[in-house]
Amino acid sequence: MVDKKANKRKATKKQGDKFTRYLVIGMILFVVIAGIGATLAKNHSNSHVALPSAVSTSDGYGIQINPTAKVKVDMYEDFRCPNCRNFEAQNNTYIDGLVRAGKIDAVYHPMSFIAPDSILTAAASACASDQGKFLEMHTALYVNQPTTAQSAENSAYWTNAQLILLGNSVGITSPTFATCINSGKYINWTRNIEADAAAKNINATPTVIVNGKTLPLATDYNAQAFAKVLTDLGVK
Amino acid sequence: MKIKSFNPQLQRWLTLLGRLVLGGVLLAAGYLKAVNPTEATASVRVYKLLPVSVANIFGYALPWIEIGVALLLIVGIWIKQTSILAGGLMVLFIFAVGQAWARKLAINCGCFGNGGLSADGKVHAGVYLTEILRDIGLTIVAGYLYRFPQGKFGLDRAGTELE
Repeated sequence: MVDKKANKRKATKKQGDKFTRYLVIGMILFVVIAGIGATLAKNHSNSHVALPSAVSTSDGYGIQINPTAKVKVDMYEDFRCPNCRNFEAQNNTYIDGLVRAGKIDAVYHPMSFIAPDSILTAAASACASDQGKFLEMHTALYVNQPTTAQSAENSAYWTNAQLILLGNSVGITSPTFATCINSGKYINWTRNIEADAAAKNINATPTVIVNGKTLPLATDYNAQAFAKVLTDLGVK
Repeated sequence: MKIKSFNPQLQRWLTLLGRLVLGGVLLAAGYLKAVNPTEATASVRVYKLLPVSVANIFGYALPWIEIGVALLLIVGIWIKQTSILAGGLMVLFIFAVGQAWARKLAINCGCFGNGGLSADGKVHAGVYLTEILRDIGLTIVAGYLYRFPQGKFGLDRAGTELE
């Protein structure tokens, strides 16, 4: 008697288990498939998104200054990346001088993976580019990059409001700039930059490519060695 | 076999522990990569095993596969099958790290900028060795789960009863 009852209870419990199991398996499969699908969709280059006026689609959607200069310098950077700040500390004045004098074809690829706010800084640099102040904003973002005491490398620091103030401090006063940042106008453009960098096998920031050749990191962090690369190519 | 001398109660708790350890590591690894696809794809590309375009698709998909396997392990479904998958992933990682070590490839993309090799191009054996040892440990855990899939608080019941 007792055994029968127990068996019956066990049988219904088993069926219940089976249903729960398939339900859970279904949910897990859904998470996996939806996750992969969403990731693939999001990380695809999309030519229909709003693009900053200086963007060169053929150069991986980077912000290009002096397209006709002979020596081309591609720079993949993240405004929250400490190593990029090292690179800038060594070479920023030199590079900015060359860019302003029209001597190099500079293509900036602001990436957005280090911290959650990297994407905001990248989009803000594009808004500044539309105001003709990309170089100023670029410099300001590195000069004001938070120290590790202010913000851990992987945690958010900048807000849109602060980025607008930063822009103001380098002379961007147009309300269009604030609207551009607040509306997240170029957020989707940053995904094009990421997708292009992935396709081009860019595995580190900074990655600096001169006329198609990737420089060793040791050169990036050494102002003299970096300048030699360019002067050897006839940049004066 | 020695199963008879093995305390069945202890075995069930060990299986639960193994599921949580292996599942926990995979879940954390998957989550960290899922929220940062740029790093996820780069961390596949640096092993130079796959063509870039294939590596990128694999890099986008891998975190979600890890999360799926982790969830199955944690709730305790299809333990035998998922332990093969998890063990397979670990063997794949060991192979990938091993060949990277042999080829002196920079692999620790945790911080995108630093790479496994320092700026002077030297190989830091510790980077590769810790990864390999950790993955060997996890492979052993996967092996244990394959051998003893029946544990505490698992949704798996039918077909894997030991008694």
